[in-house]
Amino acid sequence: MTDKLTTARPAKSSITFISRSAPYGRNRANLCLDMALACAVFEQNVNYVFLDDGVYQLLKGQDGAAIQSKTLGNALETLALYGIESVYADQQSLKERSIDMADLLPGMQLIDNGAISKLIDSSDTVFNL
Amino acid sequence: MSSLHTINRSPDSNLLESCIKVVSAGDAILFIEDGVYHCTSPINLQTIIETVKVYGLREDMLSRATLAKTMDSVQAIDTARFVELCCEHDKVVSWF
Repeated sequence: MTDKLTTARPAKSSITFISRSAPYGRNRANLCLDMALACAVFEQNVNYVFLDDGVYQLLKGQDGAAIQSKTLGNALETLALYGIESVYADQQSLKERSIDMADLLPGMQLIDNGAISKLIDSSDTVFNL
Repeated sequence: MSSLHTINRSPDSNLLESCIKVVSAGDAILFIEDGVYHCTSPINLQTIIETVKVYGLREDMLSRATLAKTMDSVQAIDTARFVELCCEHDKVVSWF
């Protein structure tokens, strides 16, 4: 009986989220985060990559109150609490936008294009938003 | 006849390039919403001719944490000034 319960539990998937949109202007950034958190709650292996305009989500000192919105940056700081520890910012996207490491929220790891393609390759599922 | 051009998407959208092709002396360009990301880099702004005034909406800069990095050539304005600009120009052209 115990065996049956164990085998009935779905296997852990490796799921990579690629967030490519700036915060606030559209709700893509929020939707991507919601999906990732839902997956983390169900104990999946979640990778989170910020690419292109997505790196704008990582700027320190955001204040959603100025436009009557929730501050997305605050939510992103809690990713580790939900067990999402593989959080990456694309080096080239940062450079193109003149963003330094010092401008970013804490806990971000840098990643390059080659590493992203390996991450995609090794993932069971990829969400690209 | 002058126009106020508003741009509400980030530089990746190439909206500014489209706008610049048709902008006239005496017009103004106002960056709103995700458009304010244009204001943090001189490369984005260098193609704008000098006779065009450049503005950015302060509340959108505050929310996105870009006000401190905004170039001096961009004047940060509030919504009341946004309304004034709409009235000062004969029409508003939205790039979106």
